[in-house]
Amino acid sequence: MTLKATGASLIALAIGMASGASAAEFDGVVIDAKLIGGQQYEALYARIAEWEEMTGATVNVISKKNHFELDKEFKSDIAARTTGWCVGSNHSSFASQYPSLYTDLSDLIPQETIDGFVKANIDAATLGGKLVMLPRAQFDVSALYYQKDIYEDAEQAAAFEAEYGYPLAVPETWDQLKDQAIFFADPPNFYGTQYAGKDEAIVGRFYELVVANGGKLFNDDFSPAFNSDAGKEALQWFVDLYEAGAVPAGTTNYLWDDLGNGFASGTIALNLDWPGWAGFFNDPSASKVAGNVGVAPAPKGSAGVRTGWSGFHGFSVTENCDNKEAAASLVAFLTNEDSQKLESSAGPLPSRTAVWDHISEQAKDDPYRSEVLAAFKETAATAFAVPPTEYWIEATNLIYPELQAAILGDKTVDEALADAADAVDSLMQEEGVY
Amino acid sequence: MKSLKLPPWLVLLLPAIIILAAVVLIPLVLSLYSSFTAYKLTRPDSLYRWIGTFNYEKAIGDAKFWAAFGRTVLLLTVALNLEMLFGLGLALMVSKVTRGQRALRTMMMFPMMFSPILVGFQFKFIFNDNVGLVNNALQSLGITDQAIPWLVDGNLAMFSIIFAEVWTATSVFAILILAGLYAIPKDPLEAAKVDGCTAWQSFRYVTLPFLMPFIYIAMAIRSLDVARAYDIVQIMTNGGPARRTELLWTLIGRTGYVDARMGYANAMGYISIFLAIFFTVFFFRKLTAARAELGMGV
Repeated sequence: MTLKATGASLIALAIGMASGASAAEFDGVVIDAKLIGGQQYEALYARIAEWEEMTGATVNVISKKNHFELDKEFKSDIAARTTGWCVGSNHSSFASQYPSLYTDLSDLIPQETIDGFVKANIDAATLGGKLVMLPRAQFDVSALYYQKDIYEDAEQAAAFEAEYGYPLAVPETWDQLKDQAIFFADPPNFYGTQYAGKDEAIVGRFYELVVANGGKLFNDDFSPAFNSDAGKEALQWFVDLYEAGAVPAGTTNYLWDDLGNGFASGTIALNLDWPGWAGFFNDPSASKVAGNVGVAPAPKGSAGVRTGWSGFHGFSVTENCDNKEAAASLVAFLTNEDSQKLESSAGPLPSRTAVWDHISEQAKDDPYRSEVLAAFKETAATAFAVPPTEYWIEATNLIYPELQAAILGDKTVDEALADAADAVDSLMQEEGVY
Repeated sequence: MKSLKLPPWLVLLLPAIIILAAVVLIPLVLSLYSSFTAYKLTRPDSLYRWIGTFNYEKAIGDAKFWAAFGRTVLLLTVALNLEMLFGLGLALMVSKVTRGQRALRTMMMFPMMFSPILVGFQFKFIFNDNVGLVNNALQSLGITDQAIPWLVDGNLAMFSIIFAEVWTATSVFAILILAGLYAIPKDPLEAAKVDGCTAWQSFRYVTLPFLMPFIYIAMAIRSLDVARAYDIVQIMTNGGPARRTELLWTLIGRTGYVDARMGYANAMGYISIFLAIFFTVFFFRKLTAARAELGMGV
């Protein structure tokens, strides 16, 4: 808070006294905020005016960028010690990198408010015992989108059963998905599936498959644990699909937009993807598969565990904020039931238990929306966040080139995982993690 | 007490010295200092953790760093030579045009006007394996029925990056060489014609030696550019897949800004500067020799 804010407080106080009105809770306080930008988030930000009116405070949005850009900005702020702003957008995948930036919200937010959130989300937002953010209705976990008509062709179903020895149905396991992807593939016109092939994205997919196969990415002390049977099985899955030509040749360069647009182009049979795409895939003006989209819970790995790498957006309050109470009040407001109902009405998944029930009720008469929600609700029930280490992103930067090397045939699965494990081990030791 | 009186020459130079120190020297010294520390962007206190030459030893012992170094030298060598050859050809052709030469010269400079980021996106789309222009054209013409992974295959991905670099910078060579062509005196060329030289002999023994100083200046400028290649590669492949197109500055950029290891990134940056220094010294020596050959002095 600045002199300007103090001045504004005095003026507000004077006006309040003159009119005899009681002063609002945070009259004259100015909250500087750095928020994630994008059209889809604006509806929520429009509610900020309500909070300002209610509390007498003013929100000054000093930065609006995507999370990757915000991440760089936060790091620069920490380096330059310019962390006096108050509220920042946060993400479960990035949060662990800023151990000193954000304050513990559990001291500022009533416990009954915290209890309204899905417990798994609150657990993932708690790092080193500190509740560093309150989750908003932007919860992400991936379910399986598929083209429905590929399961309606009796001739193909018979050919599949003859070749693989079991009936063709929407896959419930990743092995079944692999069989079907290879079966449906007809490159370069049609592919069985696709996967994000670089950066944190491929490591996230690898991570959830390792877990689904009964393994772990890291041990409890954060030493690498993925060079295991479960890890090898997971990486082999990626390799087999690539070698069989069941995924586009350029998949190792693909990120989320490429994948979403690929499925919408009608050239992909099965696509593990985020909830935010559900509306787009079924929109006839944007997608060639509109009206033909089915959604199922994420398949299970060899250990019978469903994949469920999840993440969510949230809001945090900085440690150096001058008025943490006001900032926490804003964060609580932006994540309360009304805010989450508003955000989730456009498609994203909530992180409050009551809002899950609300949107399920709302979607009763829309079969597609009900199918989407049921699939994601089922997947979310066993979802898990990224390992809570501040070296997560750095570790993914060491792991993903090795995964790519195996997929492209530069290294064997064993060599790639051994090299990745060595690199991560060196990183953790160098940083004094163990 | 006698007040300190600076000599007039120093007073006059002081503004320049202060500005140079502020914009060049201080950042350089700070980055050099930080390369000897464990500086992480997310931990400001680490700027004061002196670790001696650890970062340099780590970089020197890192095979990935040297692979990126080698790839950068390869890109530099191939891109520079191709740009020189195409630029020379383009300049020779444009110099022969008698009408509309000014318009041609302006058109020739169009690629230089694009931001490298845009060039990166443009070629990322052109070489996309699924919806890209090149694959669609090849498939429509019946040349292939495969989706050629231009940005995935090690050789093809380097080719695609070199193609983008050459497209964007050939005109630098063409413009400089064209300036050289205009500066060539007519007498030696006419003398060669009178002596019965063929067109090739006139070019090889008269035109080219006159052009060499211009070529070396273009080479020196572009070698500094390519040794710092980042934007186009970052957009097209981000150094991947599987580090197949990893160059020095994509590696250093990721280490510094994504991994937040600024100390280590700066150490790699300082080692990389030797590459730029080497090529600059090399081309300036060549330039001096070429000028001496023409009797232009050193």
